[in-house]
Amino acid sequence: MNQTIGGFTDSAQGGLQELPERAYGTALYRAAQADSRIVCLSADLARATETFLMRERMPERCFSLGIQEANMIGVASGMARCGDIPFAHSFCVFVTRRVYDQVAMQVAYPRTNVKIVGFIPGLTTQLGVSHQAIDDIALMRSLPNMTVVEPCGPEQVPAAVQAALAHEGPVYLRLSLASQAADTTRPLMTLDIGRGQVMVEGVDVAILATGMMVAQALQARDLIAQQGLSATVVNIHTLKPLDTQLLDRLARSHRAVVTAENHSTIGGLGAAVAEYLALRSLPVRFAMVGVRDTFAEGGSTPFLMKKYGLDAEHIAAAARTVCQAN
Amino acid sequence: MVARQGLGYLQQGLGAADLFAALYMSELRVRPDDPRWPDRDRLLLSTAHNTAVFYAAMAARGLIPAAALETYTQDGSPFEINASERVGPQVEATCGSLAQGLSVGVGMALSLRRQAKSARVYVILGDGELQEGQVWEAGLSAAGHRLDNLCLVIDRNYMQVDGHTDEVMRLEPLADKWVAFGWHVLSIDGNDLTQLTQALERARNIRDRPTCIIANTIPGKGVPFLEGRISHMAAISREEAQRALRILGESP
Repeated sequence: MNQTIGGFTDSAQGGLQELPERAYGTALYRAAQADSRIVCLSADLARATETFLMRERMPERCFSLGIQEANMIGVASGMARCGDIPFAHSFCVFVTRRVYDQVAMQVAYPRTNVKIVGFIPGLTTQLGVSHQAIDDIALMRSLPNMTVVEPCGPEQVPAAVQAALAHEGPVYLRLSLASQAADTTRPLMTLDIGRGQVMVEGVDVAILATGMMVAQALQARDLIAQQGLSATVVNIHTLKPLDTQLLDRLARSHRAVVTAENHSTIGGLGAAVAEYLALRSLPVRFAMVGVRDTFAEGGSTPFLMKKYGLDAEHIAAAARTVCQAN
Repeated sequence: MVARQGLGYLQQGLGAADLFAALYMSELRVRPDDPRWPDRDRLLLSTAHNTAVFYAAMAARGLIPAAALETYTQDGSPFEINASERVGPQVEATCGSLAQGLSVGVGMALSLRRQAKSARVYVILGDGELQEGQVWEAGLSAAGHRLDNLCLVIDRNYMQVDGHTDEVMRLEPLADKWVAFGWHVLSIDGNDLTQLTQALERARNIRDRPTCIIANTIPGKGVPFLEGRISHMAAISREEAQRALRILGESP
Protein backbone atom coordinates (compact mmCIF):
# COMPACT_ATOMS: atom_id res chain seq x y z
CA MET A 1 0.00 0.00 0.00
CA ASN A 2 1.48 3.32 -1.03
CA GLN A 3 0.59 5.63 1.80
CA THR A 4 0.53 9.33 1.10
CA ILE A 5 0.39 11.95 3.80
CA GLY A 6 -0.14 15.36 2.25
CA GLY A 7 1.98 14.43 -0.72
CA PHE A 8 4.72 12.97 1.47
CA THR A 9 4.92 9.43 0.20
CA ASP A 10 6.20 6.61 2.37
CA SER A 11 9.87 6.19 1.50
CA ALA A 12 9.69 2.45 2.17
CA GLN A 13 8.09 2.19 -1.24
CA GLY A 14 11.51 2.78 -2.73
CA GLY A 15 12.16 4.67 -5.89
CA LEU A 16 11.62 2.18 -8.62
CA GLN A 17 9.08 4.27 -10.45
CA GLU A 18 10.13 6.99 -12.85
CA LEU A 19 9.86 10.63 -11.93
CA PRO A 20 7.95 12.92 -14.24
CA GLU A 21 9.98 15.03 -16.60
CA ARG A 22 9.36 18.23 -14.63
CA ALA A 23 10.13 16.88 -11.20
CA TYR A 24 13.09 18.13 -9.22
CA GLY A 25 14.58 14.63 -9.05
CA THR A 26 14.79 14.41 -12.82
CA ALA A 27 16.34 17.85 -13.08
CA LEU A 28 18.93 16.97 -10.46
CA TYR A 29 19.77 13.69 -12.15
CA ARG A 30 20.18 15.42 -15.52
CA ALA A 31 22.38 18.09 -13.99
CA ALA A 32 24.49 15.42 -12.30
CA GLN A 33 24.92 13.58 -15.60
CA ALA A 34 26.35 16.75 -17.11
CA ASP A 35 28.51 17.85 -14.16
CA SER A 36 30.56 15.28 -12.28
CA ARG A 37 31.10 17.66 -9.36
CA ILE A 38 27.47 17.35 -8.25
CA VAL A 39 26.87 15.15 -5.22
CA CYS A 40 23.58 14.46 -3.49
CA LEU A 41 23.23 14.54 0.29
CA SER A 42 20.16 13.26 2.04
CA ALA A 43 18.99 13.11 5.62
CA ASP A 44 16.54 10.25 5.11
CA LEU A 45 13.53 11.29 2.96
CA ALA A 46 15.07 10.26 -0.38
CA ARG A 47 11.60 9.55 -1.70
CA ALA A 48 9.97 12.76 -0.51
CA THR A 49 12.87 14.89 -1.71
CA GLU A 50 12.94 13.07 -5.06
CA THR A 51 16.60 12.10 -4.78
CA PHE A 52 15.95 8.39 -5.21
CA LEU A 53 16.40 8.60 -8.98
CA MET A 54 19.96 9.83 -8.62
CA ARG A 55 20.55 7.33 -5.82
CA GLU A 56 19.50 4.44 -8.05
CA ARG A 57 21.50 5.53 -11.06
CA MET A 58 24.54 7.09 -9.39
CA PRO A 59 24.81 5.53 -5.94
CA GLU A 60 28.49 6.45 -5.69
CA ARG A 61 27.57 10.13 -5.82
CA CYS A 62 24.82 9.99 -3.21
CA PHE A 63 25.60 10.22 0.47
CA SER A 64 23.03 9.31 3.04
CA LEU A 65 23.60 10.87 6.45
CA GLY A 66 20.60 9.44 8.20
CA ILE A 67 18.31 11.72 10.15
CA GLN A 68 20.87 14.37 11.03
CA GLU A 69 20.45 17.68 9.30
CA ALA A 70 23.03 19.68 11.28
CA ASN A 71 25.77 17.25 10.37
CA MET A 72 24.56 17.18 6.76
CA ILE A 73 25.08 20.93 6.39
CA GLY A 74 28.61 20.66 7.78
CA VAL A 75 29.35 17.69 5.52
CA ALA A 76 28.04 19.65 2.53
CA SER A 77 30.38 22.50 3.39
CA GLY A 78 33.35 20.14 3.68
CA MET A 79 32.57 18.57 0.32
CA ALA A 80 32.16 21.97 -1.33
CA ARG A 81 35.52 22.99 0.09
CA CYS A 82 37.03 20.05 -1.78
CA GLY A 83 35.52 21.11 -5.09
CA ASP A 84 32.29 19.11 -5.15
CA ILE A 85 28.89 20.76 -5.54
CA PRO A 86 26.61 19.28 -2.88
CA PHE A 87 22.85 19.48 -3.10
CA ALA A 88 21.63 18.92 0.48
CA HIS A 89 18.03 17.84 0.95
CA SER A 90 15.32 17.74 3.56
CA PHE A 91 12.08 19.52 4.35
CA CYS A 92 12.21 23.33 4.41
CA VAL A 93 11.97 23.60 8.20
CA PHE A 94 14.80 21.15 8.78
CA VAL A 95 17.33 22.71 6.38
CA THR A 96 16.70 26.25 7.65
CA ARG A 97 15.33 26.82 11.16
CA ARG A 98 16.70 23.60 12.62
CA VAL A 99 20.24 24.13 11.29
CA TYR A 100 20.45 27.88 11.09
CA ASP A 101 23.81 28.28 12.78
CA GLN A 102 25.36 25.53 10.66
CA VAL A 103 24.05 27.18 7.50
CA ALA A 104 25.28 30.59 8.65
CA MET A 105 28.79 29.47 9.61
CA GLN A 106 29.55 26.71 7.13
CA VAL A 107 27.63 27.83 4.06
CA ALA A 108 26.72 31.53 4.08
CA TYR A 109 29.79 33.04 5.74
CA PRO A 110 32.40 31.13 3.71
CA ARG A 111 30.24 31.25 0.53
CA THR A 112 30.66 27.53 0.01
CA ASN A 113 29.08 26.27 -3.19
CA VAL A 114 26.29 24.39 -1.43
CA LYS A 115 22.74 24.13 -2.73
CA ILE A 116 20.29 23.71 0.12
CA VAL A 117 17.07 22.17 -1.14
CA GLY A 118 13.95 22.27 1.02
CA PHE A 119 10.53 20.75 0.38
CA ILE A 120 7.15 21.53 1.95
CA PRO A 121 7.06 25.33 1.84
CA GLY A 122 4.66 27.17 4.13
CA LEU A 123 1.46 25.43 5.09
CA THR A 124 1.38 22.78 2.37
CA THR A 125 1.26 19.70 4.54
CA GLN A 126 -1.09 17.64 6.63
CA LEU A 127 1.81 16.69 8.88
CA GLY A 128 1.22 19.72 11.06
CA VAL A 129 3.05 22.64 12.58
CA SER A 130 6.37 20.78 13.02
CA HIS A 131 6.69 20.48 9.25
CA GLN A 132 5.36 23.88 8.21
CA ALA A 133 8.02 26.36 7.13
CA ILE A 134 6.54 29.80 7.71
CA ASP A 135 9.81 31.57 8.47
CA ASP A 136 12.38 29.92 6.20
CA ILE A 137 12.46 32.75 3.68
CA ALA A 138 12.94 35.26 6.49
CA LEU A 139 15.77 33.23 7.98
CA MET A 140 17.62 32.56 4.77
CA ARG A 141 17.08 36.07 3.44
CA SER A 142 18.78 37.55 6.49
CA LEU A 143 21.99 35.62 5.87
CA PRO A 144 24.64 37.55 3.96
CA ASN A 145 25.77 35.83 0.73
CA MET A 146 22.63 33.68 0.52
CA THR A 147 20.47 33.50 -2.61
CA VAL A 148 16.86 32.43 -2.10
CA VAL A 149 14.84 30.93 -4.96
CA GLU A 150 11.30 29.58 -5.08
CA PRO A 151 10.06 28.52 -8.52
CA CYS A 152 6.36 28.96 -9.24
CA GLY A 153 5.69 25.34 -10.15
CA PRO A 154 6.97 22.16 -11.82
CA GLU A 155 7.33 23.99 -15.13
CA GLN A 156 10.03 26.15 -13.56
CA VAL A 157 11.84 23.55 -11.47
CA PRO A 158 14.35 22.43 -14.13
CA ALA A 159 15.35 26.05 -14.73
CA ALA A 160 15.64 26.63 -10.98
CA VAL A 161 18.09 23.74 -10.68
CA GLN A 162 20.15 25.02 -13.59
CA ALA A 163 20.15 28.57 -12.22
CA ALA A 164 21.23 27.38 -8.77
CA LEU A 165 24.03 25.40 -10.36
CA ALA A 166 25.15 28.29 -12.56
CA HIS A 167 25.31 30.54 -9.51
CA GLU A 168 28.67 30.03 -7.79
CA GLY A 169 27.85 30.12 -4.07
CA PRO A 170 25.12 29.27 -1.59
CA VAL A 171 21.55 28.93 -2.81
CA TYR A 172 18.40 27.98 -0.91
CA LEU A 173 15.85 26.31 -3.20
CA ARG A 174 12.33 26.26 -1.77
CA LEU A 175 10.36 23.57 -3.55
CA SER A 176 6.89 22.10 -3.37
CA LEU A 177 6.39 18.37 -3.09
CA ALA A 178 5.42 16.83 -6.40
CA SER A 179 2.06 15.64 -5.12
CA GLN A 180 0.65 14.92 -8.54
CA ALA A 181 1.78 14.66 -12.12
CA ALA A 182 2.74 18.07 -13.43
CA ASP A 183 0.69 19.65 -16.20
CA THR A 184 2.82 18.96 -19.26
CA THR A 185 0.75 21.18 -21.54
CA ARG A 186 2.20 24.30 -19.91
CA PRO A 187 5.41 25.53 -21.47
CA LEU A 188 8.63 25.17 -19.49
CA MET A 189 9.70 28.42 -17.89
CA THR A 190 13.10 30.05 -17.63
CA LEU A 191 14.55 31.38 -14.40
CA ASP A 192 17.02 34.21 -14.24
CA ILE A 193 18.18 34.68 -10.64
CA GLY A 194 17.22 38.15 -9.44
CA ARG A 195 14.89 38.94 -12.35
CA GLY A 196 11.16 38.84 -11.62
CA GLN A 197 8.89 37.53 -14.35
CA VAL A 198 5.85 39.49 -15.41
CA MET A 199 3.25 36.81 -16.13
CA VAL A 200 0.61 39.22 -17.32
CA GLU A 201 0.45 43.02 -17.55
CA GLY A 202 -2.34 45.17 -16.11
CA VAL A 203 -2.70 48.79 -15.02
CA ASP A 204 -4.26 49.16 -11.58
CA VAL A 205 -2.56 46.80 -9.16
CA ALA A 206 0.66 44.81 -9.31
CA ILE A 207 0.43 41.48 -7.52
CA LEU A 208 3.88 40.12 -6.66
CA ALA A 209 3.73 36.45 -5.80
CA THR A 210 6.18 33.68 -5.11
CA GLY A 211 6.00 29.89 -5.46
CA MET A 212 2.55 28.35 -5.52
CA MET A 213 1.04 31.78 -4.83
CA VAL A 214 1.67 32.77 -8.44
CA ALA A 215 -1.19 30.52 -9.53
CA GLN A 216 -3.40 31.99 -6.81
CA ALA A 217 -2.48 35.50 -7.93
CA LEU A 218 -3.46 34.68 -11.51
CA GLN A 219 -6.83 33.45 -10.27
CA ALA A 220 -7.22 36.57 -8.15
CA ARG A 221 -6.61 38.63 -11.27
CA ASP A 222 -9.67 37.04 -12.88
CA LEU A 223 -11.72 37.67 -9.76
CA ILE A 224 -10.98 41.40 -9.57
CA ALA A 225 -11.42 41.83 -13.30
CA GLN A 226 -15.14 41.43 -12.61
CA GLN A 227 -14.98 44.71 -10.64
CA GLY A 228 -13.14 46.41 -13.47
CA LEU A 229 -9.71 46.22 -11.85
CA SER A 230 -6.79 45.20 -14.00
CA ALA A 231 -3.84 43.44 -12.36
CA THR A 232 -0.26 42.83 -13.31
CA VAL A 233 0.91 39.50 -11.94
CA VAL A 234 4.61 38.95 -11.32
CA ASN A 235 6.44 35.77 -10.42
CA ILE A 236 9.05 36.74 -7.85
CA HIS A 237 10.97 33.48 -7.99
CA THR A 238 14.04 35.07 -6.43
CA LEU A 239 13.40 36.37 -2.92
CA LYS A 240 17.00 37.43 -2.60
CA PRO A 241 18.35 39.35 -4.39
CA LEU A 242 15.06 41.13 -4.91
CA ASP A 243 14.41 42.56 -8.38
CA THR A 244 14.35 46.18 -7.27
CA GLN A 245 14.51 47.53 -10.80
CA LEU A 246 11.24 45.81 -11.64
CA LEU A 247 9.78 46.91 -8.31
CA ASP A 248 10.64 50.52 -9.12
CA ARG A 249 8.85 50.31 -12.42
CA LEU A 250 5.76 48.57 -11.04
CA ALA A 251 5.43 50.92 -8.06
CA ARG A 252 5.52 53.92 -10.39
CA SER A 253 3.10 52.51 -12.96
CA HIS A 254 0.41 51.06 -10.66
CA ARG A 255 -1.88 52.47 -7.99
CA ALA A 256 -1.17 49.61 -5.63
CA VAL A 257 1.20 46.75 -4.94
CA VAL A 258 0.06 43.53 -3.27
CA THR A 259 2.43 40.75 -2.24
CA ALA A 260 1.36 37.11 -1.89
CA GLU A 261 3.43 34.43 -0.21
CA ASN A 262 2.99 31.05 1.40
CA HIS A 263 5.05 32.24 4.38
CA SER A 264 4.79 34.66 7.27
CA THR A 265 4.32 38.30 6.33
CA ILE A 266 7.19 38.95 8.76
CA GLY A 267 10.53 38.81 7.01
CA GLY A 268 9.39 37.28 3.73
CA LEU A 269 8.46 38.64 0.32
CA GLY A 270 5.98 41.20 1.68
CA ALA A 271 8.47 42.50 4.20
CA ALA A 272 11.25 42.67 1.62
CA VAL A 273 9.05 44.66 -0.77
CA ALA A 274 7.78 46.93 2.03
CA GLU A 275 11.34 47.67 3.13
CA TYR A 276 12.32 48.62 -0.37
CA LEU A 277 9.24 50.77 -1.06
CA ALA A 278 9.71 52.63 2.22
CA LEU A 279 13.44 53.15 1.78
CA ARG A 280 12.92 54.54 -1.71
CA SER A 281 9.88 56.58 -0.59
CA LEU A 282 7.87 55.16 -3.46
CA PRO A 283 4.30 56.50 -3.13
CA VAL A 284 2.19 53.46 -3.77
CA ARG A 285 -0.55 51.76 -1.78
CA PHE A 286 0.53 48.43 -0.40
CA ALA A 287 -0.93 45.27 1.06
CA MET A 288 0.50 41.89 2.06
CA VAL A 289 -1.08 38.46 1.81
CA GLY A 290 0.59 35.72 3.82
CA VAL A 291 0.55 33.93 7.14
CA ARG A 292 -0.19 36.60 9.74
CA ASP A 293 2.17 36.05 12.67
CA THR A 294 0.62 32.77 13.68
CA PHE A 295 1.47 29.08 13.71
CA ALA A 296 -0.93 26.89 11.76
CA GLU A 297 -1.98 23.26 11.91
CA GLY A 298 -1.99 20.22 9.67
CA GLY A 299 -4.65 20.02 6.99
CA SER A 300 -5.27 19.82 3.28
CA THR A 301 -3.67 22.65 1.36
CA PRO A 302 -6.96 24.21 0.08
CA PHE A 303 -8.39 24.10 3.61
CA LEU A 304 -5.32 25.75 5.13
CA MET A 305 -5.01 28.37 2.41
CA LYS A 306 -8.60 29.39 2.97
CA LYS A 307 -8.37 29.33 6.76
CA TYR A 308 -5.09 31.26 6.93
CA GLY A 309 -5.97 33.77 4.25
CA LEU A 310 -3.71 32.69 1.40
CA ASP A 311 -6.05 31.74 -1.41
CA ALA A 312 -7.08 33.66 -4.51
CA GLU A 313 -10.16 35.07 -2.74
CA HIS A 314 -7.97 36.65 -0.09
CA ILE A 315 -5.55 38.09 -2.62
CA ALA A 316 -8.48 39.51 -4.58
CA ALA A 317 -9.98 41.02 -1.43
CA ALA A 318 -6.65 42.59 -0.49
CA ALA A 319 -6.27 44.01 -3.99
CA ARG A 320 -9.80 45.46 -4.01
CA THR A 321 -9.37 47.03 -0.58
CA VAL A 322 -6.02 48.56 -1.33
CA CYS A 323 -7.20 49.96 -4.66
CA GLN A 324 -10.30 51.50 -3.10
CA ALA A 325 -8.56 53.00 -0.06
CA ASN A 326 -8.40 56.78 0.08
CA MET B 1 51.31 36.85 21.85
CA VAL B 2 48.81 36.50 24.66
CA ALA B 3 50.46 38.96 27.03
CA ARG B 4 50.59 41.78 24.51
CA GLN B 5 46.84 42.44 24.58
CA GLY B 6 46.03 40.29 27.58
CA LEU B 7 43.87 38.21 25.26
CA GLY B 8 44.07 34.65 23.98
CA TYR B 9 43.79 31.20 25.42
CA LEU B 10 46.95 30.55 27.36
CA GLN B 11 46.31 27.37 29.34
CA GLN B 12 44.77 25.51 26.41
CA GLY B 13 47.55 26.65 24.11
CA LEU B 14 50.37 25.42 26.33
CA GLY B 15 48.49 22.18 26.99
CA ALA B 16 48.02 21.45 23.29
CA ALA B 17 51.43 22.70 22.13
CA ASP B 18 52.84 19.18 21.79
CA LEU B 19 49.77 18.11 19.86
CA PHE B 20 50.09 20.98 17.39
CA ALA B 21 53.84 20.36 17.12
CA ALA B 22 53.28 16.69 16.25
CA LEU B 23 50.65 17.58 13.66
CA TYR B 24 52.25 20.60 11.99
CA MET B 25 55.92 19.66 12.27
CA SER B 26 55.65 15.93 11.60
CA GLU B 27 52.33 14.61 10.37
CA LEU B 28 50.68 17.08 8.00
CA ARG B 29 51.56 17.01 4.32
CA VAL B 30 51.21 20.68 3.42
CA ARG B 31 53.07 23.06 1.15
CA PRO B 32 53.82 26.39 2.81
CA ASP B 33 54.33 27.99 -0.60
CA ASP B 34 51.06 26.58 -1.96
CA PRO B 35 48.42 26.61 0.79
CA ARG B 36 45.68 25.64 -1.68
CA TRP B 37 47.52 22.52 -2.92
CA PRO B 38 44.59 20.17 -3.68
CA ASP B 39 46.37 17.12 -2.27
CA ARG B 40 47.27 18.69 1.06
CA ASP B 41 46.19 17.13 4.33
CA ARG B 42 43.46 19.17 5.99
CA LEU B 43 43.45 20.20 9.62
CA LEU B 44 40.33 21.63 11.19
CA LEU B 45 40.48 23.27 14.59
CA SER B 46 36.93 22.94 15.81
CA THR B 47 37.82 24.67 19.09
CA ALA B 48 38.64 27.71 17.01
CA HIS B 49 39.44 29.87 20.04
CA ASN B 50 42.65 27.96 20.76
CA THR B 51 44.49 30.21 18.35
CA ALA B 52 47.62 31.29 20.18
CA VAL B 53 49.07 27.82 19.68
CA PHE B 54 47.34 27.34 16.30
CA TYR B 55 48.86 30.46 14.72
CA ALA B 56 52.22 29.82 16.38
CA ALA B 57 52.28 26.28 14.95
CA MET B 58 51.33 27.52 11.48
CA ALA B 59 54.06 30.14 11.66
CA ALA B 60 56.57 27.51 12.78
CA ARG B 61 55.62 25.39 9.75
CA GLY B 62 55.98 28.43 7.49
CA LEU B 63 52.31 28.59 6.54
CA ILE B 64 51.93 32.15 7.82
CA PRO B 65 54.63 34.76 8.41
CA ALA B 66 55.92 34.85 11.98
CA ALA B 67 55.59 38.63 11.95
CA ALA B 68 51.83 38.22 11.61
CA LEU B 69 51.70 36.91 15.17
CA GLU B 70 52.58 40.42 16.34
CA THR B 71 49.09 41.54 15.31
CA TYR B 72 47.30 38.80 17.23
CA THR B 73 43.92 40.06 18.55
CA GLN B 74 44.61 43.63 17.43
CA ASP B 75 41.72 45.53 15.84
CA GLY B 76 41.70 45.00 12.10
CA SER B 77 44.04 42.00 12.19
CA PRO B 78 42.88 38.79 10.52
CA PHE B 79 44.48 36.94 13.42
CA GLU B 80 41.41 37.06 15.62
CA ILE B 81 40.87 35.10 18.82
CA ASN B 82 38.53 32.73 16.99
CA ALA B 83 40.29 31.62 13.82
CA SER B 84 38.40 32.60 10.69
CA GLU B 85 39.06 32.36 6.99
CA ARG B 86 40.09 35.99 7.02
CA VAL B 87 43.54 34.52 7.67
CA GLY B 88 43.47 32.79 4.29
CA PRO B 89 43.24 29.23 3.01
CA GLN B 90 45.49 28.07 5.85
CA VAL B 91 42.36 28.12 8.01
CA GLU B 92 40.36 25.37 6.35
CA ALA B 93 36.99 26.38 7.80
CA THR B 94 35.60 28.92 10.21
CA CYS B 95 34.62 26.97 13.28
CA GLY B 96 34.22 28.34 16.77
CA SER B 97 30.52 27.73 16.91
CA LEU B 98 31.34 24.49 18.66
CA ALA B 99 30.89 21.00 17.23
CA GLN B 100 30.91 22.00 13.59
CA GLY B 101 34.49 21.02 12.77
CA LEU B 102 33.97 17.28 12.73
CA SER B 103 31.04 17.52 10.30
CA VAL B 104 33.11 19.60 7.89
CA GLY B 105 35.91 17.07 8.29
CA VAL B 106 33.54 14.22 7.42
CA GLY B 107 32.53 16.08 4.25
CA MET B 108 36.15 16.66 3.28
CA ALA B 109 37.02 13.02 3.91
CA LEU B 110 34.10 11.87 1.76
CA SER B 111 35.11 14.15 -1.12
CA LEU B 112 38.81 13.31 -0.94
CA ARG B 113 38.00 9.62 -1.00
CA ARG B 114 35.59 9.93 -3.92
CA GLN B 115 38.22 11.95 -5.78
CA ALA B 116 40.74 9.17 -5.08
CA LYS B 117 43.09 11.52 -3.26
CA SER B 118 45.40 10.19 -0.58
CA ALA B 119 45.14 13.36 1.50
CA ARG B 120 43.99 12.88 5.08
CA VAL B 121 41.74 14.96 7.29
CA TYR B 122 42.56 15.80 10.90
CA VAL B 123 40.05 17.39 13.24
CA ILE B 124 40.87 18.71 16.69
CA LEU B 125 37.95 18.82 19.09
CA GLY B 126 38.05 20.05 22.64
CA ASP B 127 36.61 17.75 25.26
CA GLY B 128 34.01 20.24 26.49
CA GLU B 129 32.79 20.48 22.92
CA LEU B 130 31.82 16.80 23.04
CA GLN B 131 28.76 17.83 25.02
CA GLU B 132 27.29 19.15 21.74
CA GLY B 133 24.96 16.73 19.97
CA GLN B 134 26.30 17.47 16.49
CA VAL B 135 29.64 15.87 17.40
CA TRP B 136 27.86 12.54 17.82
CA GLU B 137 25.94 12.92 14.57
CA ALA B 138 29.27 13.43 12.84
CA GLY B 139 30.78 10.55 14.79
CA LEU B 140 28.04 8.22 13.61
CA SER B 141 28.37 9.30 10.00
CA ALA B 142 32.18 9.02 9.90
CA ALA B 143 32.00 5.45 11.10
CA GLY B 144 28.95 4.69 8.95
CA HIS B 145 30.84 5.82 5.87
CA ARG B 146 34.01 3.99 6.99
CA LEU B 147 36.19 7.07 6.70
CA ASP B 148 39.66 5.75 7.41
CA ASN B 149 41.13 8.95 5.96
CA LEU B 150 39.72 10.87 8.92
CA CYS B 151 41.53 11.23 12.23
CA LEU B 152 39.92 12.95 15.19
CA VAL B 153 42.13 14.24 17.96
CA ILE B 154 40.38 15.08 21.20
CA ASP B 155 42.27 17.56 23.32
CA ARG B 156 41.31 16.05 26.67
CA ASN B 157 42.24 18.77 29.16
CA TYR B 158 39.16 18.41 31.38
CA MET B 159 38.54 22.11 31.10
CA GLN B 160 35.57 24.18 29.97
CA VAL B 161 34.28 27.65 30.76
CA ASP B 162 32.36 26.62 33.88
CA GLY B 163 35.15 24.43 35.24
CA HIS B 164 36.06 20.74 35.16
CA THR B 165 34.34 18.95 32.27
CA ASP B 166 33.23 16.01 34.34
CA GLU B 167 31.68 18.26 36.95
CA VAL B 168 29.82 20.32 34.36
CA MET B 169 28.59 17.32 32.34
CA ARG B 170 30.29 13.97 32.66
CA LEU B 171 31.96 12.63 29.52
CA GLU B 172 33.43 9.40 30.85
CA PRO B 173 33.71 6.65 29.83
CA LEU B 174 34.87 8.63 26.82
CA ALA B 175 36.92 6.01 24.96
CA ASP B 176 34.06 3.50 25.29
CA LYS B 177 31.68 5.95 23.66
CA TRP B 178 33.85 6.31 20.55
CA VAL B 179 34.45 2.55 20.41
CA ALA B 180 30.69 2.04 20.58
CA PHE B 181 30.27 4.51 17.71
CA GLY B 182 32.53 2.34 15.55
CA TRP B 183 35.81 4.22 15.79
CA HIS B 184 39.31 2.93 16.36
CA VAL B 185 40.33 4.59 19.62
CA LEU B 186 43.79 5.36 20.98
CA SER B 187 44.23 6.96 24.40
CA ILE B 188 47.60 8.60 24.88
CA ASP B 189 49.57 11.16 26.84
CA GLY B 190 48.98 14.24 24.68
CA ASN B 191 52.08 15.92 26.05
CA ASP B 192 54.39 13.13 24.89
CA LEU B 193 55.63 13.75 21.35
CA THR B 194 56.63 10.14 20.81
CA GLN B 195 53.22 8.83 21.78
CA LEU B 196 51.58 11.48 19.60
CA THR B 197 53.58 10.71 16.48
CA GLN B 198 53.17 6.96 17.00
CA ALA B 199 49.39 7.32 17.41
CA LEU B 200 49.14 9.43 14.27
CA GLU B 201 51.14 6.84 12.39
CA ARG B 202 48.92 4.01 13.64
CA ALA B 203 45.85 5.99 12.62
CA ARG B 204 47.22 6.21 9.07
CA ASN B 205 47.33 2.43 8.89
CA ILE B 206 43.85 1.67 10.22
CA ARG B 207 41.48 0.56 7.46
CA ASP B 208 37.70 0.88 7.17
CA ARG B 209 37.30 2.94 10.32
CA PRO B 210 38.06 6.47 11.41
CA THR B 211 40.48 6.86 14.29
CA CYS B 212 39.93 8.87 17.45
CA ILE B 213 43.02 9.80 19.40
CA ILE B 214 42.18 10.88 22.94
CA ALA B 215 45.14 13.06 23.80
CA ASN B 216 45.24 13.69 27.53
CA THR B 217 46.80 17.09 27.95
CA ILE B 218 47.70 19.23 30.94
CA PRO B 219 46.68 22.89 30.76
CA GLY B 220 49.64 25.23 31.08
CA LYS B 221 52.07 22.37 30.41
CA GLY B 222 55.73 23.29 30.56
CA VAL B 223 55.47 26.31 32.85
CA PRO B 224 55.46 25.21 36.50
CA PHE B 225 53.52 28.19 37.79
CA LEU B 226 50.78 27.60 35.19
CA GLU B 227 50.79 23.82 34.88
CA GLY B 228 47.55 22.10 35.83
CA ARG B 229 45.68 25.34 36.50
CA ILE B 230 42.12 24.97 35.24
CA SER B 231 41.29 28.37 33.84
CA HIS B 232 39.44 28.91 30.59
CA MET B 233 40.44 32.55 30.24
CA ALA B 234 43.72 32.81 32.14
CA ALA B 235 45.33 36.21 31.75
CA ILE B 236 49.07 36.68 32.12
CA SER B 237 51.11 39.79 32.79
CA ARG B 238 54.05 40.76 30.61
CA GLU B 239 56.42 39.90 33.45
CA GLU B 240 54.89 36.46 33.91
CA ALA B 241 55.01 35.93 30.16
CA GLN B 242 58.72 36.71 30.12
CA ARG B 243 59.34 34.37 33.02
CA ALA B 244 57.38 31.63 31.25
CA LEU B 245 59.28 32.09 28.01
CA ARG B 246 62.62 31.88 29.84
CA ILE B 247 61.51 28.62 31.49
CA LEU B 248 60.56 27.28 28.05
CA GLY B 249 63.97 28.20 26.72
CA GLU B 250 62.78 30.98 24.47
CA SER B 251 64.17 34.51 24.49
CA PRO B 252 61.30 36.80 25.53
